[in-house]
Amino acid sequence: MPSDLTTNTAVRGPSGPRTGWTPPQWVATTALLMPTYAWLTLAVLLPLLTMFCFSFLSATPMGKAPIVFTLKQYRAFIDQPYLLNIGWTSLVIGFWTTLLCAVFGFLAAVALSRATFGRMRETLLILILLPFWTNGLVRVFSWTMVLRENGFLDNLLHLVAPDAGSISFLYTRYAVVLGLVHGYLPYMILTCYIALITIDDAIIEAAVSLGARWWTVLFKILVPMAAPGLISGCVLIFVPVIGSFMEPRILGGKVGVTMGTVIEDQFTQAFNWPLGAALSFTLLAVVLAIFATFSGVLKRGAAA
Amino acid sequence: MTNVKVNSVAKTYGSVPVLRDITTEFPEGSFTSLLGPSGSGKTTLLRIVAGFIKPDEGIVMIGNSDVTEVPVWGRNIGMMFQSYALFPHMTVEQNVAFGLERRGIKGVEAKKQANQALEMVHLPDFGKRYPKQLSGGQQQRVALARAMVIKPSVLLLDEPLSALDRRLRQEMQVELLRIQRESGLTTIFVTHDQEEALTLSDKIAILDKGRIVQIGEPGEVYEKPLTRFAAEFLGDSNFLKGKVEGGAVRLADGTVVRASGALPADGADVTLAVRPEKMSVVSSLEEASNSIRARITTVIYAGQALSYLLVTPGGLQLKLFAQNKDGRVLSEGEVVTLAWSPEHTIAVAE
Amino acid sequence: MTYLGRAYLFAMLFFLYTPIVVMMAMGFNESSLYEMPFSFSTKWYEALYQNTPLLTSGMNSIIIAIITAVIATSLGTMAAVALERRTFRGKSLLQLLLLPPIAIPWLITGTAMLVFFYWSGIGRGMHALLIGHVALAIPYVVLVVGTGFKTIRADLEEAAMSLGSTPVHAFFAVTLPLLYPSIIGAALFAFAVSLDQFVISYFLATPGYTTLPVQIYSAIRKGFTPEINAISTLLLLGSMGAILIFARFAKPGDVSDKR
Repeated sequence: MPSDLTTNTAVRGPSGPRTGWTPPQWVATTALLMPTYAWLTLAVLLPLLTMFCFSFLSATPMGKAPIVFTLKQYRAFIDQPYLLNIGWTSLVIGFWTTLLCAVFGFLAAVALSRATFGRMRETLLILILLPFWTNGLVRVFSWTMVLRENGFLDNLLHLVAPDAGSISFLYTRYAVVLGLVHGYLPYMILTCYIALITIDDAIIEAAVSLGARWWTVLFKILVPMAAPGLISGCVLIFVPVIGSFMEPRILGGKVGVTMGTVIEDQFTQAFNWPLGAALSFTLLAVVLAIFATFSGVLKRGAAA
Repeated sequence: MTNVKVNSVAKTYGSVPVLRDITTEFPEGSFTSLLGPSGSGKTTLLRIVAGFIKPDEGIVMIGNSDVTEVPVWGRNIGMMFQSYALFPHMTVEQNVAFGLERRGIKGVEAKKQANQALEMVHLPDFGKRYPKQLSGGQQQRVALARAMVIKPSVLLLDEPLSALDRRLRQEMQVELLRIQRESGLTTIFVTHDQEEALTLSDKIAILDKGRIVQIGEPGEVYEKPLTRFAAEFLGDSNFLKGKVEGGAVRLADGTVVRASGALPADGADVTLAVRPEKMSVVSSLEEASNSIRARITTVIYAGQALSYLLVTPGGLQLKLFAQNKDGRVLSEGEVVTLAWSPEHTIAVAE
Repeated sequence: MTYLGRAYLFAMLFFLYTPIVVMMAMGFNESSLYEMPFSFSTKWYEALYQNTPLLTSGMNSIIIAIITAVIATSLGTMAAVALERRTFRGKSLLQLLLLPPIAIPWLITGTAMLVFFYWSGIGRGMHALLIGHVALAIPYVVLVVGTGFKTIRADLEEAAMSLGSTPVHAFFAVTLPLLYPSIIGAALFAFAVSLDQFVISYFLATPGYTTLPVQIYSAIRKGFTPEINAISTLLLLGSMGAILIFARFAKPGDVSDKR
């Protein structure tokens, strides 16, 4: 018990005050913060800085090849035009994933905030968020069980039409987008839900009493008022999606080549670390630009 | 038992002065209310006495010692908070015994003293319960027991009753007063509720913009406000503006009004305050009275009392409070003569 | 409208859970090629006993997750104390610095760690994995514990001080006991973050020292076997359990009589 340590020197009233030694505020504050920020510096900030330096090297400093400072890695998009295609693919996948998440997630959030109450709502919310906190890799793997030839989807189809062929679309970009939507949908539902529950029922009742139909309520009231949640959700989905690499690898097979897989290749197969670093930083620049653009909305979203 | 003195205390946050040059004494055994609107500095003053805030200038004395540099935990104060601030993870008994343990009193003795304190607040069998199992009023009693059990040199109350409903609050006021009288503890009470301040206090200090504008016994502060702010904040007032002329005051519409106490020199502008309940409607004038004619614009019927809003031919707005004695209610539009004694006519600073 | 909304929600749940349930079911199907008709068998779970690489990596994952939870919770709680209860300059910058581990795609963070750890001589393996996992978990801990702090009124500590507690004693006697649910919640959260972490582990693991997700990934790339379903099922149930316990502990505002 901490009290034992201080009993003997306990308060004596104003006549003989005792204060003990209390370290100055800033010493205590620094001591509390130091471990965390030292750790983050070592594990995140210094690595990012190092990688930034590596992106200017002409080759991986492993072999005997002379290393010189160069900007050529950042010219990769010009020197190797296929990278432009891959970058475009990544953006398209990111776009569709985000759009599908936004539409289905927003509607789910509306349903959650308007059609459920109390315990039911609590349970549904936990059920929706639960997969999000489980292993993403395993969830992606799960989809292969459904989508593969003669998988769950085919079996389902054959129950209805025993002679139909396979509708398997594993190893296509559709499969990649499907897997990504599955992975990030709970995020969108959560951010939209948080924005939507703050809307007063009376506002909607007022609109309905003035003759608004459901689509007017949806597009003129719910969407604009929940816009911060919707935008936060989009940003927080688009950013990791354009950096994804295991979903394209597992669900996309040979067509699953994205910026993520190209970067991974540079580090694990091609051992061209400077190129990988330069591509990573290009991606990071895109990410930061997105964050900067929406920082105002994100801050408000976080406060909501 | 000890008195508390603050001397030339000042506190500034950023560039905003919250307290300016406060010097006052809280005599031994007295119950003093710090009354003022939010932002007047009353809570800051209390927290400086408690030791949570260090003043930029000035000193705080508890008894004969200068405690300005002593932190809260060395000052031996008892404090009650607006939110009760009971420790939710401890039983009522553990809450009350907390301060005892900090003073080296443990085990059976601590238990005994804690239960005595709980008896004092009429909660003798509540020791084993947790705070959340108690009602708001009961929690506040526990908080009082916890503050008193350590035999503090001064009791500091930071709007402790404001979270209670009206009936409970009145009950707690009586209780608080009884316990304060029995213990004879010097008590400082922060409130924005003027009625509460009048009911409980030996002394009321009215604060405005970081200054004590008036301090005195409730009757004195109420009957003889020194400033327009004090007259307005504690109770209600009519204000009459005019010029001093031959020992009386001539209002803008020519009415001459006599006042009690000293007036400034002839020709000076002056504001007079008259409490609405001190005025009455008369049919014949008495020689000694001040009077003015006015038309009733609004009648507010509140059962036991009546209040009227009136306007004089000169455009002066007045309020009048009357007891509902004979069930006679004046009607709107009636023109009446208001009379009041010069004794109740006080010159106040703007 | 209400029923339409609920029907839609159940459709969403169906979408979210179908693949997981199918995957789990296939772990109990006898056919090694996932062939139908389904015939129940636990042979793939039995086979796990023999699969030393999977078991070893699974053990590694659990050990790393536990150590990560302990370190990240201690450091993160300390930081949360400073960020929530103290005023100092540069606080908003420090709060901003918590974001990179969460906001930057793990691919970038992971490759950056790989480059730096190689270049600085830290290398890869268990210690590198720990450094990475703790860094990822700390921001979540600060967030969870910080939220817990917000539910504890500051005047409780003031009350303790008015009764004679020094600030340090007030923290240990009053705030910390009330903070325990949040701290336990944060530890479970950190545990789950570490257990589920794949991307960073993938770059920092060595052939001799891997974690379960990394092992599963390489198994998937070699070709699917129901054994993967079996181990994945166990992994999913493990982290779902941790999160459900977390949800129970981190329920804010409920400081019941548990001491």
